[in-house]
Amino acid sequence: MAAIERAVGPERTASSIFVSAMAWLGYFFLIMPSLIVLPMSFGNKFEMMFPPTSFSTYLFEQFLFEENWMDATVLSFRVAIGSTLLALSLGVPAAYGLVRGNYWGKKLVAMILISPILVPVIVIALGLYLYFTSVGLRGSEFALIVGHAVYTGPFVIVTCMAGMRHIDVNLEVAARIMGAGALQIFWKVTLPLLRPAMLASGLFAFLMSFDEIVISYFLSAIGSMTLPVKMFSSIQWEISPVLAAVSTLLTLLSLVICLIGASFQKKSQDSYRP
Amino acid sequence: MHDARGTRQAINFVLPALVFMAIAFLYPLAGVLGQSVTAADGALTFAGFVKLGSSRLSRLVLLNTLEISFMATLFTLVLAYPIAYHLAKQPPRRRTLLLILVLLPFWTSILVKSFAFTVVLGEKGTVNSIITLLPGIEHGPTMLFNRTGVMIGLTHYFIPFMVFPILSSLLAQSPDLAKAAQIMGSGSLRIFARITLPLSMPGVMAGSLLTFILSLGFFITPALLGGPKDLMLANLVDFYTRETLNWTLASAISVVLLVLSLLLIFLLSRIPGGRTVLGEAN
Repeated sequence: MAAIERAVGPERTASSIFVSAMAWLGYFFLIMPSLIVLPMSFGNKFEMMFPPTSFSTYLFEQFLFEENWMDATVLSFRVAIGSTLLALSLGVPAAYGLVRGNYWGKKLVAMILISPILVPVIVIALGLYLYFTSVGLRGSEFALIVGHAVYTGPFVIVTCMAGMRHIDVNLEVAARIMGAGALQIFWKVTLPLLRPAMLASGLFAFLMSFDEIVISYFLSAIGSMTLPVKMFSSIQWEISPVLAAVSTLLTLLSLVICLIGASFQKKSQDSYRP
Repeated sequence: MHDARGTRQAINFVLPALVFMAIAFLYPLAGVLGQSVTAADGALTFAGFVKLGSSRLSRLVLLNTLEISFMATLFTLVLAYPIAYHLAKQPPRRRTLLLILVLLPFWTSILVKSFAFTVVLGEKGTVNSIITLLPGIEHGPTMLFNRTGVMIGLTHYFIPFMVFPILSSLLAQSPDLAKAAQIMGSGSLRIFARITLPLSMPGVMAGSLLTFILSLGFFITPALLGGPKDLMLANLVDFYTRETLNWTLASAISVVLLVLSLLLIFLLSRIPGGRTVLGEAN
């Protein structure tokens, strides 16, 4: 058997080289924007090109001190933190109720809670725009937080439901036999076991909210631009070189959250199985 | 007793989220439906939908949207399949490393990508300065603020969405199948055409439908990388909502977009491999 396997083992045919070449072309295309913005962000204000011809941290200083870039960044952080906390506090119990529950209409409830994923974001954005305009809250931080929680909530629920399925239900049964109530079981048994899935979904919800543009664009007003909305108008109207510095910082943020989130996700899949 | 199927009182844990989604999602969504048949003076009207059907602009934009979405799906598939195939052939450790190259752009802000493309594809951008180095070429092609720019931007955005379902259907295949065909004398091209490709069709179908659905409602890329001829439905929604304040028409377009998406999602949930793409929700 081994001899046969060796004889027909991996061969470098013309077609397999072609496929590899196509794949690497694809990888290069995918990673190219990230590779471009990094060196550009260390260029200077007079050139908008790649590769840059000089090295400076001028653009980062601009980002910190000029043109309200910091205001937009701070607003984005506040909205992302607020909406993530809201999505977690609603989504984690909901995931518990959907996985551990047994009641009439559960499928319909699940459908409703997940449905924002199924609706085009532009339609959600228009709905929220009309709604918050009619109650006079469009442009407020509150509206942004609620809008982003609608957007990230379903992802928190789906991730935590997957995490719930990896928790041994017998631990909860044991707690119940020893006299714990439903809330106590959820709080003292399930939540600690669910922590990796919660952290992973929280991190990803944070990043989704921080990068969200369509809902933010519809809900923002002159004085309440999130960072992506400010970037959008900057690309559309002026293409400020500061965009390169902002892009580098955003790429780093994505990379860090991605790596941490992936490790939590792995943890939640590895453990708790007896 | 508490059994594996769970309890009735667990419904209490769902209620806060349900109330929130009813107020912040279903009610605004119903508002869009209502607005689409409400005139400025509050009377019932179908003028929005009539205008949609009769106006040249909206018909053009609808055709644009379908055409752009279809082409973007095609380009994405052509670029994503070799990536998924290459990933599937790697040993696990190397695959994890290469997957970062797909995951990082997946999690990168679309504005970062759009900005990078305006620099790379511009008239004096990186690509054109390389092209004009060639002898005999003085002007590179225009790749920004036209269909080419939109295609490049959309394809870049959607590749990860296509790679993941195809990769999972490739990894689900037993390597013994290809090995058996090889032992029986099939060449690698024949193995690919007769075994690997047909067995990966669920992933291809799911990824393509998902890409098409997401692209129907796309807003940012046509706005930033496209020109006036590349308007899509979402851009029209934005235009009527914020520029002309014609909320009836904006809502009517949204309803069309919503119905179109829901029909395709229903189709997606019917095909094998579609359910995994839609999440483990159901």
